[in-house]
Amino acid sequence: MKPEPQEGVTPDAIAATWVIVPAYRESAVIQPVVTALRRLGWKVVVVDDGSPDATSAAARRGGAEVVRLPINLGQGAALRTGFAYALAQPGTGFVVTFDADGQHDPEAVAALVAPLVSGAADVVLGSRFLRPEAPGEMPMRRRWLLRTATWVSRTTTGLPLTDTHNGMRAFTTAAIRRMQLSQDRMAHASEIQAEIARHGLRCVERPVRVHYTSYSLAKGQRSMDAISILWDLLLTPRRSRS
Amino acid sequence: MIGSQIALLALLVVFAVYIVRLRSTAMDRLTYLGLALVGVVLILNPEWTNIIAKWLGIGRGADLMFYFFIVFCLFHFATTAATLRRMQRDLATLAQQVALDDASAKSEGQRGG
Repeated sequence: MKPEPQEGVTPDAIAATWVIVPAYRESAVIQPVVTALRRLGWKVVVVDDGSPDATSAAARRGGAEVVRLPINLGQGAALRTGFAYALAQPGTGFVVTFDADGQHDPEAVAALVAPLVSGAADVVLGSRFLRPEAPGEMPMRRRWLLRTATWVSRTTTGLPLTDTHNGMRAFTTAAIRRMQLSQDRMAHASEIQAEIARHGLRCVERPVRVHYTSYSLAKGQRSMDAISILWDLLLTPRRSRS
Repeated sequence: MIGSQIALLALLVVFAVYIVRLRSTAMDRLTYLGLALVGVVLILNPEWTNIIAKWLGIGRGADLMFYFFIVFCLFHFATTAATLRRMQRDLATLAQQVALDDASAKSEGQRGG
């Protein structure tokens, strides 16, 4: 597949990058997401989190490598599996995480990888709040939930971030190797920030646009899930550092 | 502070120390066995619970048993939760390894023809 030229990234950087797409029951939407990423030249690994549907087959049709977990473990565990896969491939320098439900813009991956390639950052996080937003673009309840989550994360980690629960992130392999991640479910977003702060990784944010569709809203986090995330963070002990 | 409060607090401290410091599968089994023996003795001598309860300042033997039951439940919850957490973590590691092995076996199969 001949990649289209993109601003800010060389073909070498694209060849050194794996885009990890954790997916659970996304057979209806994942193929075009993968195809769009592949068309831009990115290597894609879909981690199928034990979906009962045809998510794996759809991802393969789109041109992705597929790692299929035999049982459903949660998004945090799926991402860890994707990281392990990417680190095991020869020549990997950068890793990007990308949502499977089509809410992210494949064109934005290049902007996330660019600060890693130039050496300006170890971690790049996507943010929905860094760009002027069309009125009504984000549902009101979603906005307040995200603002609250961001405030909690800022207070606990001290990182000056504007959006702490965005699925689009980019890491150097060195950064991935230093982070100790143990949260299986959604609390991994907060955990990633805690690890960035603990190791003093250089972290920048880049604006990303999120396309809210009725599909992505139905699959995304509900307000009550915040309770589960807090529960996981408070009651799950950190993995021993032996 | 009455005798029963001191005794119960001391018991909780002993359990906390036990769970944090002394735990092992063998010690857990000995603890369960010891508690079972105490149960047998008290069934054979029901009036002893009243004597101990009076001595501790608790009204009746039945209340004493209820307090012991609560502490025993806490002990049981703690050991069960620790086991479940360990199993969940091992299961995640195992599932991840199976998934990665499958993926690399498939890609090698493709390369080999």
